[in-house]
Amino acid sequence: MPLTGADAEAAHLILNGALLAIKLANSSGELKGITLEPMVLNNATATAGQYDPAQAATNARKLVGDKKVLANVGPEMSGSGKAMAPILSMADLATITPSSTAPALTDPQFAGEFVPGGKPIYFRTVTTDAYQGPNMANFYAETLKVPSVYVLDDSGAYGVGLADAFAAQAKVKGIKVLGRDRLDPKAADYSAVLTKIKATNAASLYYGGTMQAAVKLVKQSYQIVPDIKKGGGDGILSPEMMTAAGFPAAEGWYATNASPHVVDDPKLASWVALYSKTYGVQPDDYAITSYDAALVAIAAIKAVIKSGKPLTASNVRNAVQTVKINGLQGPISFDKYGDLSTRVVAVFQFKQNKAAPLADMDKQSIYIGVAPQS
Amino acid sequence: MTGSAIFLQQIINGVSLGAVYALLALGFTLVYGILELINFAHFSVFMVGAFVALVVLEAFGLQGQSVVMHGAPLVLVLLVALVVTMVASGALGVAIERYTLRPMRNVKGPMAMITTIGVSYILFNLVLLATNAQAINFPDPMPQASYHVGGVVIRLKEILIWIVSAVLMIGLNLFVKRTKLGKAMRAVAQDAEAARMMGVDVDNVVMIAFFAGSALAGAAGMIFGLYYNFAQYSIGYTAGLRAFTAAVLGGIGNVPGAMLGGIVIGLIETLGSQYIAARWADVIIFSILIGTLVFRPAGLLGMLAPNRS
Amino acid sequence: MKRLANLPPRTKRILFSVLLAFLLVFPFLDTGQANIDIAANCAAYAALALGLNIVVGFTGLLDLGYAAFFAIGAYAYGILNSYQLHPAWSNGWAPLAAIGFVAKLGAGAAATVHFTFPFWVMLPVSAVIAAGFGVAFGAPTLRLKGDYLAIVTLGFGEIVPIVVRNWSSLTNGAEGLNGVAPPSVFGHSFGIDSTPYYYVGLGIVLLLLFISQRLKPSRIGRAWMAIREDEIAAGAMGIHTTRLKLLAFAMGAGFAGLTGTFYIAKLQTATPDMFDLPVSIMVLVMIVLGGLGSVWGAIIGAVLLQLLQAWFLPELSAMVQALGNAVHSPFLSNLELTSASELIFGIILVTMMLYRRDGIVPASRNEVRLSFAQQDAAVSRGSLPAVERLSRASAQAAAAGAPAALAVRDLTVKFGGLTALKSVSLDVPAGGIVAVIGPNGSGKSTLFNSITGLVTPSGGSIDFAGHELIGQRPDQILRYGVARTFQNIRLFPNLTVMENVLIGQHTHLKAGPAGIVLGLGGVRAEEREAREFVLELLAMFGNRLIPRIDQGVAQLSYANRRRVEIARALATRPRLLMLDEPTAGMNPAESLELAEQIAGFRDLGLTVLLVEHKLDVVTRLADNVIVLDYGEKLAEGPADVVRRDEAVIEAYIGRGAVNA
Repeated sequence: MPLTGADAEAAHLILNGALLAIKLANSSGELKGITLEPMVLNNATATAGQYDPAQAATNARKLVGDKKVLANVGPEMSGSGKAMAPILSMADLATITPSSTAPALTDPQFAGEFVPGGKPIYFRTVTTDAYQGPNMANFYAETLKVPSVYVLDDSGAYGVGLADAFAAQAKVKGIKVLGRDRLDPKAADYSAVLTKIKATNAASLYYGGTMQAAVKLVKQSYQIVPDIKKGGGDGILSPEMMTAAGFPAAEGWYATNASPHVVDDPKLASWVALYSKTYGVQPDDYAITSYDAALVAIAAIKAVIKSGKPLTASNVRNAVQTVKINGLQGPISFDKYGDLSTRVVAVFQFKQNKAAPLADMDKQSIYIGVAPQS
Repeated sequence: MTGSAIFLQQIINGVSLGAVYALLALGFTLVYGILELINFAHFSVFMVGAFVALVVLEAFGLQGQSVVMHGAPLVLVLLVALVVTMVASGALGVAIERYTLRPMRNVKGPMAMITTIGVSYILFNLVLLATNAQAINFPDPMPQASYHVGGVVIRLKEILIWIVSAVLMIGLNLFVKRTKLGKAMRAVAQDAEAARMMGVDVDNVVMIAFFAGSALAGAAGMIFGLYYNFAQYSIGYTAGLRAFTAAVLGGIGNVPGAMLGGIVIGLIETLGSQYIAARWADVIIFSILIGTLVFRPAGLLGMLAPNRS
Repeated sequence: MKRLANLPPRTKRILFSVLLAFLLVFPFLDTGQANIDIAANCAAYAALALGLNIVVGFTGLLDLGYAAFFAIGAYAYGILNSYQLHPAWSNGWAPLAAIGFVAKLGAGAAATVHFTFPFWVMLPVSAVIAAGFGVAFGAPTLRLKGDYLAIVTLGFGEIVPIVVRNWSSLTNGAEGLNGVAPPSVFGHSFGIDSTPYYYVGLGIVLLLLFISQRLKPSRIGRAWMAIREDEIAAGAMGIHTTRLKLLAFAMGAGFAGLTGTFYIAKLQTATPDMFDLPVSIMVLVMIVLGGLGSVWGAIIGAVLLQLLQAWFLPELSAMVQALGNAVHSPFLSNLELTSASELIFGIILVTMMLYRRDGIVPASRNEVRLSFAQQDAAVSRGSLPAVERLSRASAQAAAAGAPAALAVRDLTVKFGGLTALKSVSLDVPAGGIVAVIGPNGSGKSTLFNSITGLVTPSGGSIDFAGHELIGQRPDQILRYGVARTFQNIRLFPNLTVMENVLIGQHTHLKAGPAGIVLGLGGVRAEEREAREFVLELLAMFGNRLIPRIDQGVAQLSYANRRRVEIARALATRPRLLMLDEPTAGMNPAESLELAEQIAGFRDLGLTVLLVEHKLDVVTRLADNVIVLDYGEKLAEGPADVVRRDEAVIEAYIGRGAVNA
């Protein structure tokens, strides 16, 4: 995970989730004498400024080279996943990602490239952008009922993929896609492209990307196209929406998450309290998927122990494939490619709550519901 | 919006953007004119300037979009912030010159340029570490007033940018043209050795050039912050590179050229985004940079100093 | 480290063998795949650093878009060895399929082409493609002054990733290439094991190291360094500066392209953001740390920085965090030192530039200390050299019937509004010695600069041995046989006496890059002969320069530097030798000694044009004296006649005396 650099904050929330699950499993003694030892690897380098695929590949080799490593939780980003998957596959080491959503990784079309070992090793406790984008397009069409949309991305792998998937489904649902452009995340001024959007009289805007470009996009779209509907993916479901982009600009933006929204669920209140007490920060939904990912790994290890087979990475992988557990987010199982069987995309809307702390995601946004599935 | 309204709106966007580039380009041009040095640290001085302004404005109790001021108090607060920012940025520029560039002045080749890259990296990464790489919300104390003229929207902020930039640019131009120091500066740019023999204190002139250029960069940083309402460690690089393109396009070393170049680059960026695509704007700008250097190295307005070899 | 360069060759060879042996057995030490992977990454960056070292270190061109060539090499392989492109199959592909470069996927009308260009073919091909981009991009821009070039390369470095990002049909855009095939040997795929990549990386570094080491002390390497030290003097020594800069640029690009292919074959995925500016800067930091121009420095710098990032900082962070956990300090337990690595890069750049510009492994410069005996030795005056080669060159020219005479007619030079030379005409007959005198600013140096192509006159003509010189490049003019020295001495300060004079022979040596790298017999013989010629030339100055032949010229006395510059000019085997104040800074005895030697040049068949202030030297040497004042010819005639001319005394001696 990129524990340093631009995405460090989110990465730490995710890391904590997995660590918590391991800690609980060890203290409960459910693994009968076996103590799980977490090995934390950072794949960010300063040169990349964020995750670095080369470092991710090195880390993957570190994992497969260590016979005591039975399963991996991560990576956070799909770009790292692409570099890691072939290596993990050859060693038959399962990785369970709580947040990387690029469809290609588990797409059977690319199986020869990402899973040369033949068996799926890339499991996810989130659904993919193949659903996150299109489900949001369904939401635009069915719930928001917008006739037209202008689609932007931030030039990154994640943003481009998400925006493309959104645009394709939007067309299917009869929304007019009036334009498709790309923002340079390093540039400051998006007024030109926003003026262009204004000129098209688009009824809505969809943005695929992360916060680096979103901070500026949110601020400037508030100035230039204040009245149209605006939304994005999980990349903008971030406290920076309030702390950096700020209200009133962020007000009304929709954002999605590729997992069910359960942090607010009363049933999880004690878990949330435990998490905040242990790490001093509020968890987000990806802290939960990460916790679930670790639960999957733990359940698989338990299953191998129970079956009496030797505790190897390969046996654990086989067990992960057939895992059926109840995670924090609900029932978890995987299809034959490693994707989560349930495909829930949650939709949120940012709404200022002056009484709550500005960085509190949970209080500064409202949960709208699950986006319609196709 | 009608076609002509869109065009006019993009012109307005481009001029505002260009004003920031122009202020930044002036610093490059001053230093290059005198030392023939491309100062990459200038990128970071601009960025630091934005953060200085942020700190000053927050010291006045302005947080994000929460406080809106009017009239004289607003002008006063902005003026104080501008002066503090310019002095602090100017001092930073002078310190960079004194401690890292003066020892390199007579070293041949790309060594001095490499030093400025190093300085730029240090400042950039210090801010990155201090802010955790996050974008910071910049205070926005100005009323959200705007004027509608035939489908075109002009915001109060934009008018403010134009006025401040124009005052600073005209001021610099007068300084270089009319004052004794300005004349000494031009003399050093023409021929440092001859100027020295005529009794000009070259070190002093270089210091003044760094102070003036860096102060303008700081002002540009503050204007940037007010206009875009955020500050981040990474703002220096993109804006700096475009400002440099502006300086080259106008004729590096040429003060009015830098202003013209800044506006032209701003217009190219917005009109390019409108009529081609935002994704190609950078390619267009850098192609102009390369094309200018290859086909017309003296730029639009020609170089201030004749080519010395 | 500084002494490393000065170790005896035998010791160096032993050290190298020990190092190589260690590197060869390293994967068997069983330190884990991850460490071998880190080592392979070190190799990739060392290869990149070696390439940039040629451009920045050897040639002095600051290239800030170097990662663009890395990207080009990476994508060349990535595109030609993945499922990215899949045109419809037609029989035109069959020949490529027969040699295994493409494969047919599917059957019938739906069949598509799958590109499977072999890694081993793509290594050199990528190098050539990247070098081709280097040429295409460099050709128009390398004429620019060095600092502009930095900016242009910066722009290029921005454009390439943007194009890669936006040209999705070719590159799969921001998502990056998926599943690039790993290399294979005899049908045996490298797969994911790090060890074969490590050996390939090591092999690449050794190859590039070998090429760099061969080029550095050669005709080409010296020409590069001459350009770095003083581009104008390099041109005046006959070096076609644009072409050699282009060669350096293309070669650096080629190294980067080759490395790109290796890197991507190992990583099996490529995204545009892997090639942004920070990568170019990081490679620059590597060579600055190691020492610009130092081949081993580039490698050591690259390895140190890679280890710093991939191993040292993470380990240190882990230790600090463990300590933080132990003492319950949240600050320490959350400290991530890896984020500081770019800060460290910046600090390295600034401190190296300010305090240790040569880097930790300075480019080898032998600082030979003279023995006391040598220092105290009485100055011996050399006889005129048995410079048969010189006279042979002149004799050939004479035999060809071309009189090596210079004829300047109505030469006018303007700088903006200022007229530096106004319709000046003069003749230097073959075999004659002509002196130009005049007060400071009278246009003497402008005259020299016009003849040697450094200044473009606005009117008139300059004819030398039947060639019009106006409009020619300095290196072309030198090839006609016109060599010069400069008033303010323009030697290549960081090079040795030997290297400086060898550069004078640039146009007479023929070695090309391939011959040098392969160490062909002809190239070696030519180099040996060139070095002998230097010794012959320097013998002219007795024991003044011979013992100092391996010293950097910056350490020489002023008079000795003048002598080296004259020797360098003579090494070009000129027919017209132009000396700009050759005796400046010499005492009367030394001046007269040099005057005698100059007179001797004529006996060897050279024509001499000199600018000189010392009238006794002029009187002793010159057949004819031309007096310039305010850019106009004031008088002309034999020295003793001119000396008595009223106007000359008024303009030159009189005013000079008053001013003094």
